[in-house]
Amino acid sequence: MQMTPRGTFMRTTLRSIVLGTAVVAMTSAGTLAQKPGGTLVQITQPEPPNLAPYVSTAGPIGQVTAKIFDGLLEYDFNLKPQPGLAESFTVAPDGKTVTFKLRRGVTFHDGKPFTSADVQFTIMEALKKNHPRGIATFKEVTAVETPDEMTAIFKLANPAPYMMMALSGYESPMLPKHVYGAGDIKTHPNANNPIGTGPFKFVEWRRGEFVRLDKNPTYWRAGRPFLDRVVVRFIADASTRTAVLEKGEAHIAGFGAVPYNDVKKLATLPSVEVSTKGYEMMSPVVEMVINTKKAPFDNVKVRQAINYAVDRKFVIDNVWFGFGKAARGPISSNFEPSGLFGVGTDYAAADRIDRANKLLDEAGFPKKADGVRFEMVHDMTPYGEEWQRFGEATQQALAQVGIKATLRYEDVPKWLKRVYTDYDFDVTSNFLYNLADPVLGVHRSFHSDRIRKGTVFVNAAQWSSPETDALMDKATVEPDSAKRSVMYRELVAKVTEASPVVYVHELTFPTIINKQFKDLIDTPLGIYGNYANAHRQ
Amino acid sequence: MGGTALASYIVRRLLQTIPVILGVVILNFLLLQLAPGDLATVLAGEAGGAPKEYIDQLRQRFGQDQPVHVQLFNYLRNLLVLDLGYSFRQSAPVLELLLKRLGPTLLLMGTTLVVSLLIGVVMGLLAALWVKTWKDHLISVAAIIFYATPLFWIGLMLILVFSIKLDWLPTSGMEDVVAFNEGFARVVDIGRHLVLPTVTLSMFYLALYARLMRASMLEQRGLDYVTTARAKGLTERQIITRHVFRNALLPVVTMAGIQFGSLLGGSVVVESVFAWPGLGQLAYQSLFARDFNLLLGIFFLSACLVVIVNLVVDVIYVLLDPRIRVG
Repeated sequence: MQMTPRGTFMRTTLRSIVLGTAVVAMTSAGTLAQKPGGTLVQITQPEPPNLAPYVSTAGPIGQVTAKIFDGLLEYDFNLKPQPGLAESFTVAPDGKTVTFKLRRGVTFHDGKPFTSADVQFTIMEALKKNHPRGIATFKEVTAVETPDEMTAIFKLANPAPYMMMALSGYESPMLPKHVYGAGDIKTHPNANNPIGTGPFKFVEWRRGEFVRLDKNPTYWRAGRPFLDRVVVRFIADASTRTAVLEKGEAHIAGFGAVPYNDVKKLATLPSVEVSTKGYEMMSPVVEMVINTKKAPFDNVKVRQAINYAVDRKFVIDNVWFGFGKAARGPISSNFEPSGLFGVGTDYAAADRIDRANKLLDEAGFPKKADGVRFEMVHDMTPYGEEWQRFGEATQQALAQVGIKATLRYEDVPKWLKRVYTDYDFDVTSNFLYNLADPVLGVHRSFHSDRIRKGTVFVNAAQWSSPETDALMDKATVEPDSAKRSVMYRELVAKVTEASPVVYVHELTFPTIINKQFKDLIDTPLGIYGNYANAHRQ
Repeated sequence: MGGTALASYIVRRLLQTIPVILGVVILNFLLLQLAPGDLATVLAGEAGGAPKEYIDQLRQRFGQDQPVHVQLFNYLRNLLVLDLGYSFRQSAPVLELLLKRLGPTLLLMGTTLVVSLLIGVVMGLLAALWVKTWKDHLISVAAIIFYATPLFWIGLMLILVFSIKLDWLPTSGMEDVVAFNEGFARVVDIGRHLVLPTVTLSMFYLALYARLMRASMLEQRGLDYVTTARAKGLTERQIITRHVFRNALLPVVTMAGIQFGSLLGGSVVVESVFAWPGLGQLAYQSLFARDFNLLLGIFFLSACLVVIVNLVVDVIYVLLDPRIRVG
């Protein structure tokens, strides 16, 4: 964060949130109860296509279903696993057996008990076969054994330390076998009528309007949730979303639902606070993917020059209104506490423009009479206006080193096809989530087995090297986190050196919260949390 | 004209619409094939990436591994029994999705049609009566301003003034999602939510009708039958109400019928600004998701609506002007 008035404001907000959390921790341990009751209105944009988080991971779905489904585990802000539906777990020394002890007395919203059979069904039948990310997450799981109703034993072909980070109610929701086990899960009638164990149960979805969730009176955490109801509203127009939050008709919105320039306006209201917490398990990184199979981008010096040319500070301050932090490599600094982090080549060095010019001269692209070395097309990722501003900012930056960039903006399906199926691009901007572990979110961008034509959000740069592949393969199965940490430091250095992707900055999203409500963001999943502890003042 | 003649006319007209609607469906189906990218990539894209096996599995499920003519044939065959298919993106049958959105759309379009016709016709009538006075100029200038102002801007300004500053009306949506009113309270609540979208959408159309009505009135007033009526000794008031007004209304009714189709389109903007759960928003979302089953269903339904409305307009002609015969 830069030293601007905005920066100071952000810090104050963060501090007040940290204090707020401390107070909850004390009161929940003590005798003081939170005031029950109230309806929380959340804005989610866009409307989710369905409420089936086990077959689709479209962002908006999780913002609704994470309140309905629990996971085996929950996570704290240091990304350390906490008990959820599993009271405890043990990993065998060889990393190939993980035993979960399940919580007793948990019931689904239809009154049936939650048992190890539901865990087995959810992992083996639902997520491992149908969940877009689960197919990879649970790749190593060969069986889930259920010696008794309250024990689930995961048998793995190889150790999978990253799997332990993907067991939240958002990422791996525990489903009732007696409901989803009947019929074809891909077109299941309960896709839009979800039944879980979470603090809120599904009541009604009026398409184009809202989803209504009511308090689950038999939730397993005694006394929770405090809120009577959560209503998730869908409003297509950004200015209307701002107006609704301003008037207090809705109380929380995150993930870019409010345009950055409106956040500034809302932040001045006494009724509203703005927080950037709650994205630690997502960690989106803004990047520019370079097509390394296409001349002149097959030349490492050209790629490094583009990397040097991008002005990270300018982009964060002017395009994203100060919401962001310069990236030092493919892995977000949110992983710094867990050690799975590394710092790569410093492309923000003070003499970066000189270095870029020198590299391009060496690569054999001298400036012509008009000052241009070569031309290229920048495909901007079609996710909103700020990406067009980003395109314009980088266009200027590249012009400084003699690269003339033309900007192109298409709709999502066309852009996906161009970049991930046809590989018909020079450079494209993008943002990818690191997710909860580098194996889940980082490897896909530069591992050779992720160069897959037609698969979206994988290695579109089509770059790989035997050394980096080997490092990733080892880190994937290494149970010891200190050893993994060493591997990732080396990986980051090697990847940033080869520069197949320009890692620009770590994106921070502002969450707009009405001050009437407290403790909405109490996990690193943020708005993907379950609001069990949320309450009205 | 007898009632049976009218009934057989309506039946014949309805039969004639079948090839029209079939043509609309086939044309739309083929046009949509030209859009690059497909639902499988969009779904995978929304998921933040997915393995190739997953995408192939999706395409197979959507029937996209079949040649286009087979897909078209299957679609038409299902259409015969009103099976509009399944929206894989929304995990629900298309017909069910459409029917849920039809009510709010018809409500908004109905109130808009009534409000814009009533006010537009009155404005045009008054402007024609006060022709070339300052009052006529005032009405004409107001109509031009309404006509030229972008809908989304009017909508946002109305929200700003009447909802945020004055706190008279809700900002958006169709009903209060905190209170969940029932019975009569719910009707009142929906009515309150309906005010701003209706006013916004009506602005544009009432300007159109006002200008048309004014021109039509002035034209009719100069015709020979008015002179005849005056010679017969009728008062100006009788001439205007019995003769000129009825005749002047015909072009406005024609226009309202034609505009109905564009009302469906214009409501996309108003629906997004006011988060109104209508068909327009659904069409917009499904286009960007390449949810072709749903999109085709919407096209089919709107084609049916336009055809029916135009039939109603033709029947209204007969009632307005007995000289027009059906047949």
